[in-house]
Amino acid sequence: MPQIFTASADTRLRTGMLLVALVFAGCLLFLGGFMDATYATLVGWVRDQPVPFSHAHHVGALGIDCRYCHTSVEVSAEAGLPPTHVCMTCHSEIWTGAPMLAPVRQSLATGTPIAWRRVARLPDYVYFNHSIHISRGVPCVTCHGRVDRMPLLARAEPFQMRWCLACHRDPASHLRPRDQVTRMDWSEWDRHPERHADFGRRMMARYHIEPAKLIDCSTCHR
Amino acid sequence: MTDAAPTPGGYAAITGEIVDIALDYPDRRAWWACFGLALLLLLSFFVSVTVLFWYGVGVWGNNIPVAWGLAISNYIWFLGIGHAGTLISAMLLLLEQHWRNSLNRFAEAMTLFAVVCAGLYPLVHLGRPWLFYWIAPYPNTMTVWPQFKSPLTWDFFAVLTYLTVSILFWYIGIVPDVASARDRARKRRTQVFFGLAALGWRGSAHHWARWRQAYRLTAAIAVPLVVSVHSEVSLLFAAGPIPGWTSTVFPPYFVLGAAFSGFAVVSMIAIVLRHALGLQNLVTPRHLDLLAKLLLATGLMTAYGYWAEVFDTLYAGEHQEMGTLLDRLGGVYAWSYWGAVVANFVPLQLLWFRRVRVQPLLLFLISLSVTVGMWFERYMLLVTTLYRDYLVSSWREYHPSFWDWSLFAGMLGVFLTLFLLFVRFLPIISSFEVKEALFEEKGKKEQAHG
Amino acid sequence: MDMDREARTPPHIDRRSLLRAMAASLALASAAGRRARADERALPYVNAPEFVVPGKPKWYATAVGFSGCAQPVLGKTYVGRPVKLEGNADHPLTGGATDVFMQAALLGLYDPARSQAPQLLGQAATWAAFDAAVAGRRLTLEARQGEGLRLLTGAVSSPTLLRQISDLLRRWPKARWHVSEPLSDANRQQAAQTVFGRRLDQLLRLDEANVVVSLDDDFLGAGPRQAPYAHRWSKRRLAWQQGQGASQLHVAESSLTTTGSMADHRLTVSPSRIGLLVAAIAQELGVGPAPAAPLAPTERTWTKQVMEALRASHGSSVVTVGAAHAPDVHAVALLINERLGAHGNTLTFIDPITSVPAPDDENSVAALAGDMNAGRVSTLVMLEVNPAYATPAGLAFRQALEKVEFTLHAGLYVDETARLSHWHVPLQHDLESWTDACSVDGTVCLTQPLIRPFYDVRSLHAVLDRWAGDTRSDHDLVRATWRHAWGSDFDDRWRDSLVRGFVADSAPTPVLPTIANRNVSIKAPTAGALMIDIRPDPTIWDGRFANNAWLQETPKPISKVTWGNVVVVSPRLAAERRISRGDELRLEANGRSITGAAWIAPGQDDKTLTVTLGYGADRTGPLPHGLGYDAFALCNDAGSWVLDGARLGTTGKHLVVASTQLHQEMDGFDFVRRVDRADRPVKKHPEAASFYPERKWDSPSWGMSVDLDLCIGCNACMVACMAENNVPVVGKELVEQGRQMHWLRVDHYFEGDANEPSSSFQPVPCMHCEQAPCEMGCPVNATVHSHDGLNLQVYNRCVGTRTCASYCPYKVRRFNWFENTGDDPEQLRAMRNPDVTVRSRGVMEKCTYCVQRISAARIASQIAGHPIRDGDVVTACQQACPTQAIVFGDVTDRASAVSRRKASPRDYSLLEEANTRPRTTYLARVRADRRPS
Repeated sequence: MPQIFTASADTRLRTGMLLVALVFAGCLLFLGGFMDATYATLVGWVRDQPVPFSHAHHVGALGIDCRYCHTSVEVSAEAGLPPTHVCMTCHSEIWTGAPMLAPVRQSLATGTPIAWRRVARLPDYVYFNHSIHISRGVPCVTCHGRVDRMPLLARAEPFQMRWCLACHRDPASHLRPRDQVTRMDWSEWDRHPERHADFGRRMMARYHIEPAKLIDCSTCHR
Repeated sequence: MTDAAPTPGGYAAITGEIVDIALDYPDRRAWWACFGLALLLLLSFFVSVTVLFWYGVGVWGNNIPVAWGLAISNYIWFLGIGHAGTLISAMLLLLEQHWRNSLNRFAEAMTLFAVVCAGLYPLVHLGRPWLFYWIAPYPNTMTVWPQFKSPLTWDFFAVLTYLTVSILFWYIGIVPDVASARDRARKRRTQVFFGLAALGWRGSAHHWARWRQAYRLTAAIAVPLVVSVHSEVSLLFAAGPIPGWTSTVFPPYFVLGAAFSGFAVVSMIAIVLRHALGLQNLVTPRHLDLLAKLLLATGLMTAYGYWAEVFDTLYAGEHQEMGTLLDRLGGVYAWSYWGAVVANFVPLQLLWFRRVRVQPLLLFLISLSVTVGMWFERYMLLVTTLYRDYLVSSWREYHPSFWDWSLFAGMLGVFLTLFLLFVRFLPIISSFEVKEALFEEKGKKEQAHG
Repeated sequence: MDMDREARTPPHIDRRSLLRAMAASLALASAAGRRARADERALPYVNAPEFVVPGKPKWYATAVGFSGCAQPVLGKTYVGRPVKLEGNADHPLTGGATDVFMQAALLGLYDPARSQAPQLLGQAATWAAFDAAVAGRRLTLEARQGEGLRLLTGAVSSPTLLRQISDLLRRWPKARWHVSEPLSDANRQQAAQTVFGRRLDQLLRLDEANVVVSLDDDFLGAGPRQAPYAHRWSKRRLAWQQGQGASQLHVAESSLTTTGSMADHRLTVSPSRIGLLVAAIAQELGVGPAPAAPLAPTERTWTKQVMEALRASHGSSVVTVGAAHAPDVHAVALLINERLGAHGNTLTFIDPITSVPAPDDENSVAALAGDMNAGRVSTLVMLEVNPAYATPAGLAFRQALEKVEFTLHAGLYVDETARLSHWHVPLQHDLESWTDACSVDGTVCLTQPLIRPFYDVRSLHAVLDRWAGDTRSDHDLVRATWRHAWGSDFDDRWRDSLVRGFVADSAPTPVLPTIANRNVSIKAPTAGALMIDIRPDPTIWDGRFANNAWLQETPKPISKVTWGNVVVVSPRLAAERRISRGDELRLEANGRSITGAAWIAPGQDDKTLTVTLGYGADRTGPLPHGLGYDAFALCNDAGSWVLDGARLGTTGKHLVVASTQLHQEMDGFDFVRRVDRADRPVKKHPEAASFYPERKWDSPSWGMSVDLDLCIGCNACMVACMAENNVPVVGKELVEQGRQMHWLRVDHYFEGDANEPSSSFQPVPCMHCEQAPCEMGCPVNATVHSHDGLNLQVYNRCVGTRTCASYCPYKVRRFNWFENTGDDPEQLRAMRNPDVTVRSRGVMEKCTYCVQRISAARIASQIAGHPIRDGDVVTACQQACPTQAIVFGDVTDRASAVSRRKASPRDYSLLEEANTRPRTTYLARVRADRRPS
């Protein structure tokens, strides 16, 4: 009876099966990794905007407070985007002719809104409320990152449920003095955590922040 | 006495008889006829699922209160059928019941395919099937895990485990026969096919030793599953606080019912195969006799389950439970209750007579009635409970829609297609085990004479 | 357009530009599921309106009209989009009570089926062309002092509109104004004319009445007076529950109504016998002759008990007769009430708010039809009426229309009349116009727009102003009215009234008329074999709300039928004629006939077939097409709603009736429990032990209590819930298949004898069980318990196994069998509540106790730095309820209103035997058949 397989058939079969197993495992690993890749989370990815607005310039260089433009951040769920005329309060005086600002002037002239593209965007079934976070001393930088260093705005954190929960499960270390929520640079604070060791704890006690309740589904999903 | 009648040609002949079916199928026209039908049903499966996924579960007859319908009752029915294979193979193997060797292979195959169908149902019945994997525990960016109190979560594990073990057990079992098929194969194509499948089996003593270990080990793992899987599935109902479901009798009741329906289907298949492929000398009247006895035994236990359920209700005498019971006996869906009782119990009584047990046609008809009866039972348990639960204000009848039925037909198509392929291309009976059994029998005889 | 609109607290002037607001708000709107990328782009304002904060709601007080009367509401708006209407708690009459029509007005505003541009002979036209046509018309009319011009409106209470009309008539003396309001108080006003010599409106002071005797008067049923009457009645009922005074309701009616369901003592009787019963009471009190015919034994015993009750409570009792009954019956009732000392106490009189002429009056629609046929009408202006449909077939109004050379229809929809008129012009919805109107007690309500019209439409005032040859806006016209009325302090009062939503103390002081004529008597009833009783439809009235999908899908309070009307027959009659539910019946009376589906209901008079208005297989319009039958087709003249000598037959066909509750007998269960007295403990099952560990609940932990003794089954809560929670409408077929989406349903149960059943309502929201079976069943943690005691449903986690629904003993869970929201038109998306996720296909949903309101209150209180106070969270159903039957709050706080409710001995939970420990519990009804206390 003629041989069906060559002597090396067994080896080849085994390696083949091994490969299949490896590829399968590889796929799983890739998926796992992809979830956290910036390509999926958009962290650090700049989106081109109708006007190349520079937070680095306005916040970093000029030191304009966040609330000057995002007016409703302390009172409403939404921080609010500045109406065109807010831009024009300054830009009717300076850079009046700048071609870069043409869309702004046009918006004011025609009365059509500037169509910004959202950077910090959450799914529609997630109800994030700015005012309560601000009033509990969660600084802007915690979620939005060092916008004062972003010539063009990009997402600073992966807006994943895991990331939200990390803070809701253990808020203490993220809390800051309520009067400094718009402060960008906390490097000193982060360098010497021991100096502020019990600050978060006291904030939690003072404002009755109970992590157990912060992770109820209804906190974010309604 | 022998399990398989000694064949003139000796052991080689047995191997040939079995393996040649796979290598050179005898009655191809008949097979193609059946396979054509199976493919038609398979088509209906794909159409139904497409429609279902496109429009949503609304294409079915489900409503509130009857949020579950045919999909779930069929799921339980199929899974039940899938119990016989393992029972016969694993349990009887460990019990050294050699007569099983003529039945175990296609019983296992049947199990495998039934479990596949059963597994498909819960997936397609989801409102958002594309998210089915949320029922599985895996590390995720939501840091949310399945809810381990839920029977459904355990269904997931149960079915998956059962599927895996069944595949392993079946494949390990078939390897030696695949090898002999490889050796007898003439065509290059078949040689390569069986050669790969045989995983380089050379039948050395070493191989046989390892094989025995593996086979018995898997059997040992499989046996407890027979009990656990359907007990778990029964919780799907028993865990719900709805009159007609909250009953402690459900787990044993379901397991026995499962074995019952399973044996019925095995008998049907055995009868058809031995007739179609002329295996009368391998699947002998004795096998039918034993199958029939098993059928009778499990059938009586199931009947006890019915009785126990009624007794419980009457004994407890709760207003709501009584209402459900009376409605089952005389309500809109009484046909399903009496259908189950009659089809599962009445024809069964004929099996007290040996003449009936060894009479293939009769046994086939009885098994058929049991299979249908068990379907009635699953349907009855689901619908009669849901359509009239606590609040009379939400009572509403359930009528399966066209797409419910077409999917059911489609599922049968999935089963038939797979099984026919198995019959056509693989050794449907464990030839080496039959031979082994024969040899041992002969040994015993010689000792007796000498 | 620069309009001053007054927001509630703090009052200020708010300038907005709607289109930009719409753009912004649409971008900010929240809609889960398929359109997840809809808010990819963020559109800020160009010039932000002052005081508008994106993400924060603003409330404006306004009103919506209903048969000429104003229904005061508060409108909740998000950056310029009204998303919810609620009752105005400050209003002296309603005190925040609402009804289904108020709640559903919101959808009326956003209805994509609304007429959106003028039409000439069915072809699209422009307003300019219309103005030209009117101008041309005016020349000829000017020459002939308006001869041939007829104005047809519904009932009118708007001071501005009345002023405009009277100006027009003064200018053109030969023109005439007709009023078409199918269902009105005309008979009551006429009776007042007979007895007092002047037309007067009657107002029941149910809050003062220990004993109320209703003769076929469904005063708790749908209508302009439902909210205030239910509110007043519940005040008395509540006081009585505390042990003050009495609250007795005696009802004699031919078909079970919501009022009959609340009755302590009910008699099923043919409408033809009502007159006799009134006469009998009159005779007992010595204010009238003996009844024209002897009473039946049952009627005698009923009357006897009624008399006992009435005699026992002089000055605090009242007798009321259904509006459909003849003026002479009402006249005698007036004499009875005078003798009872009701006048001025439990029954007050004011000059008519709206006036609807009697059929024989020269200003009636009947007279108009006559003139049209006689060719005396050359120009017919029909404002917000639909006479081609909503007039008795006897008038043959459609044919008459053809004889008029210029017909104009102004309305919200291209309805039957619009299609038969030369001109149709689209009107603004109340919620987008300036107008004024009186609530039924005469309090003037100013109506301010919540949004700028998003179609090419005009206000009624503006359209009429064109006929006066002027082009003022509704805003100017309304202001003109009140500037003239208030003179110098106009500005303050205007602003104040806009903030309130009504003009303070503008209700006319009740008059106490002296009786001028006592010799009134009641004609003997014509003893017919079979009678047809025509009633308004409880959810779409006379058909004017037929386009409102919320109202169509709201079950009729008793039959629970949706998307259509049925012919109600008694079980005995059904047995005699071998009629079963859904059989198609042919009804014939005085030569006219209709066919409709049979509905067999206990408490129905054996000789009476009850039918309702508003539907019709050949109705035109997007929604109501092909539903039910048209009862107007039976009417010979505008007067009588009770037709004698009817003939009943079956066609052999069977019709589909979409009812949300197929089984209404309680079958000996104790879902609705009763106690003998308000302070008696209700029968309870002993609480079973549980395998689950007891949980400790810290404050706040939410719960609800529903007082079944107050629930009148009006469904206001149901519609409020749909509006608040973006609950989709599924349509007749799916309701018939049991796939309606209502988060809150109102079950209705019959008990006892089929002829004299006791009937009760039971609102069933999610019970929020402390030990919820659904939570145990869900494999993916999509339904879990929160720390504040809520049974949460996380839509975005749900994969749709439907285990929760199967395990739910109360069957309150609803499943999205299909994509119910994805293909909604833009208008409906703009209407959605941005605080509530819009559910997509394959997802389970249910009552959340308005978790979005709880969250809002929690966040607000945390920012303010105080715990949530009792009353900070008001669920939509609770706010809507006109009888305060629903109370919600923190059950761990002993002092909270809900805890006090739950402390009542009448408190029990539904299906205790299921041992789910519900957070929603009920207060037992107080037994009907008790003697006067």
